[in-house]
Amino acid sequence: MARTADDRRLDLLQGTLDMLILRTLQWGPQHGHGIGQAIRQQSDELLKVETGSLYPAMHRLEKQGWLKSEWGVSEANQRAKYYRLTAAGKAQLSREQDRWSQLVYAIGRIMNPASAKE
Amino acid sequence: MPRPHDRDFDDEIRGHLALAIKQRIEQGEDPETARRAVLREFGYIPAIRDSLHRVWYSRWFDAAAALVREMRTGLRSLVRAKGLAITVVVTLALGIGANAAIFSVVRGVLLRPLVNRGEDRLVYIRQSASGVGTENLTFSVPEINDLKSAATTIAAWGDFSTIEFTLLGIGEPRLLHAGVVNGSYFDVMGLRPVLGRLLNPSDDGPGAEGAVVLTHRFWTGFFNSDPSVIGRPITLGPRTATIVGVLEPSVPYPVDTEIIGNMVTSPHHLGATMNTERGHRMTDLFGRLAPEASVESARAELSAAHAAMVRAHSEAYSARANFQLTVTPLREQITAPARTILLLLLAAAAVVFVIACSNVANLILARSVRREGELAVRAALGASRGALRRTLLAESLVLCGAGAILGMLLAQPLVSVVAQFAARFSVRALEVTVDDTLLWVGAGLAIAAAVLLAYVPRLPSSSAPAGLGLASGSLRITPGTNRRLRAFATTQIAFSFVLLAGAGMLVAALIALQAANTGFLTRQVLAFELPPVSFAPSSPTPRPAPDLYREMMQRVGQLPHVEGVVGGFFVPWRDTGRLGRPVQFMVEGYTPADGEENPYARERSVGPGFFATLGIPVVAGREFSEADRIGNERVVIVSQSVAQRLFPNGDALNRKLWTTNRLSYSGRVNSDHSRIVGVVADVDDESVDGVPAMTVYNPWKSKGVPMRLFVRTSGDPYALVPPVTRIVRDLSPNQAVERPATLEDVRAEVLAPERLNALVLSGFAGIALLIAVVGVSGVLAFSVSTRTREFGVRLAVGSSPRRLLMRVLSEGASIVAVGIAAGAAAGYLFAGVAASYLGSVRLPGVLPVLAAATVLASAALVASLMPANRAAHVDVLQALRSE
Repeated sequence: MARTADDRRLDLLQGTLDMLILRTLQWGPQHGHGIGQAIRQQSDELLKVETGSLYPAMHRLEKQGWLKSEWGVSEANQRAKYYRLTAAGKAQLSREQDRWSQLVYAIGRIMNPASAKE
Repeated sequence: MPRPHDRDFDDEIRGHLALAIKQRIEQGEDPETARRAVLREFGYIPAIRDSLHRVWYSRWFDAAAALVREMRTGLRSLVRAKGLAITVVVTLALGIGANAAIFSVVRGVLLRPLVNRGEDRLVYIRQSASGVGTENLTFSVPEINDLKSAATTIAAWGDFSTIEFTLLGIGEPRLLHAGVVNGSYFDVMGLRPVLGRLLNPSDDGPGAEGAVVLTHRFWTGFFNSDPSVIGRPITLGPRTATIVGVLEPSVPYPVDTEIIGNMVTSPHHLGATMNTERGHRMTDLFGRLAPEASVESARAELSAAHAAMVRAHSEAYSARANFQLTVTPLREQITAPARTILLLLLAAAAVVFVIACSNVANLILARSVRREGELAVRAALGASRGALRRTLLAESLVLCGAGAILGMLLAQPLVSVVAQFAARFSVRALEVTVDDTLLWVGAGLAIAAAVLLAYVPRLPSSSAPAGLGLASGSLRITPGTNRRLRAFATTQIAFSFVLLAGAGMLVAALIALQAANTGFLTRQVLAFELPPVSFAPSSPTPRPAPDLYREMMQRVGQLPHVEGVVGGFFVPWRDTGRLGRPVQFMVEGYTPADGEENPYARERSVGPGFFATLGIPVVAGREFSEADRIGNERVVIVSQSVAQRLFPNGDALNRKLWTTNRLSYSGRVNSDHSRIVGVVADVDDESVDGVPAMTVYNPWKSKGVPMRLFVRTSGDPYALVPPVTRIVRDLSPNQAVERPATLEDVRAEVLAPERLNALVLSGFAGIALLIAVVGVSGVLAFSVSTRTREFGVRLAVGSSPRRLLMRVLSEGASIVAVGIAAGAAAGYLFAGVAASYLGSVRLPGVLPVLAAATVLASAALVASLMPANRAAHVDVLQALRSE
């Protein structure tokens, strides 16, 4: 039985969604749909974010002051809300990136001790 | 950061969906399939919208916002039910206002500490002689010296006594009420100056310079808060002193004075009488507890020292008088007399609040019975119990909030009335002002009432078949509920009847007192106070005071419209405190029955022409003349009651009379006989009750100086003030002329406490009346609401609306009638019980009782009209269809 695209999908690790949103917005302002698309495409269709998680996360980040939003007009000629990274958001992104690298390194050491010794 | 609106979430979601659909269509899907797929992919939109909402808004915020929304709705629905809303708001306002006002006073008088530094270590030492009915005897200097030398529990002592000076050189000469204290007084009291310094031990002793401190009230009032008064010399009668400071505002105890000076300002305090006579008591004693001492240890030690002193000087302390000493914290000493009455008032106010809430609850209950249908529909449509409760809470919050605001407005004038009333028991109440206590109490009570009211109505229960509630639109109330409510309303009527009758009694008594014939010509007689001046430095040829007085009276008598002028020693009613105790006397020709004491009589000294001037008729014989003076025959005049009681045959004239119990200053029994030369009509110059008392009048001995002047005029009495003052000053430039008032005004001034009593009780009765009437109205409204169907049926089978109206009114009337009867019975019963404890209790006369009953009945009738009217206008079809 062929594996469908859906079967290949990975669940996001707890707490990584925020980082992904911030990272996506590094390339410039984007609306919610665009952020979702970007995460999917850049993860090679491996990650798919549910809108039910994406939108509350973006609003949480905005409330924290890491994102700023303004209304614009989308490609569909519809009112859409564009999010952009704030200075505080950039700082937060680099913090999360560091934390993520450490996490990957640490988990890698445990899961794959041989390669770590090289 | 501004919070996004709920609309923004919808827009954002809509934008997302549009983009996603467009994308799929571009990939070749047909629009309908694309739309379905996107919606499926997106998830449950309301849930996502809610989760966005929750990011920005907490649950509390939502609850509050919903409540505000409900309150707006509630406000609108209450505006439609104006009668109910107004009734509820006024009732709650009365309950909240009364509580807030009384609690403000309770806090100000009983709970707040005094301004005195370390007030918890400050004690008042009191000597009593219960055997002669004196609770506070004060101390003499020899007694104070004995106590001071024996005590170790008191670290420092403050002595305070009062004296009156004539203040000269600042404006008109005026009488000045002064305190005289020792040097450690202010330190003991823990008081600070607001200006200059207070007195200290260097001001003690006869060699010190005269120094006085102004009290804050006198400084702000008389000196207009002038800071340059410090260092200014003032002349106090024979002496001068320097103003050294101004005292901070503090509770004046035992009496309010205008200045407080050191001992040398008062010649009397340096004299032998003051310092050597054990019975010359005029000093109040304060103490600051030693560090290791407690009030109890000080009390024990000083009582023992006092007992030892009494034993050592047994000749000065009669065993019958029962001399005792106690030590109490100063705050307790000042406030204790007010404690019982204030706590009683507070308890009464709390009861009033509970009753007000219950009555309002009945009204709300009646309304919720009518709204049962509405609530049932909402429940059926899926409103949670919480949401229904919130609707009710919002409405009751609106009602209670309005009630609290109105209550605050009512409370402000109430505070000053209650404070004035309490000031009769404790001087501290005078400093009570409206403060934020009022707000806190008001808000707290309003919230308590709101929560209570929101939980009174029963919600349509989810377990009960919803169909019933929806169809019938009303609850079935058991007869028991109605009976209980009715009994409650009846009790309230009974209570308010007792209060109303009591208030009516006080008002009637007050009217009677004001209208009473006093025996004096109250409107035409003007009384002056002329405090004695012991010197007249600017008079070129000093003349003896009696000569001056004689000339003064002559010249006053020549003023236009003056019909009589006389000197005296007391102003009726006002100078009650200056009058001595009754004397026992005997008259030749009268033999007391076996075991009967010699008769007692009031003793008064009056000048020639006194009776004519004050308008007291001479019934027999003559009045005093200039010839009745020392050296001539000793004569007296007796009141009619003496003559009638002792000589019913009317032959009292020319008999010899002598007093039998009075000791002269030399200690001998004064047994000189005097001849009765006149009999005058009875007057009561002592109490305003106007009880005729046996009185013996002596002629004013020319040696003394009368300190009161009475002028009778046919014109405007107060027009005489300037010319009389001028004549007095002309003869004695330093003579103060104080408090001119007609006897009518003196009486009004003395009746002020009675008026205040009547006002306070009337206020309470008024509140009780309103609340009881609301209670009756609520019970009837409830009963009518639950019987809509019954009225509908009655109307349908031919009852006239008028009959239904009368039916409900008669229900109200029966509650009131039973209430009044019960109130009357309970009132008389209570008075009987009270009389057995208190001796005698005044009972209201027929008129106040009838008036109270009429007022109560008519008010209740008016209150019954609203529900009765509703019963008469029940819509027959609707009432029957609901079955």
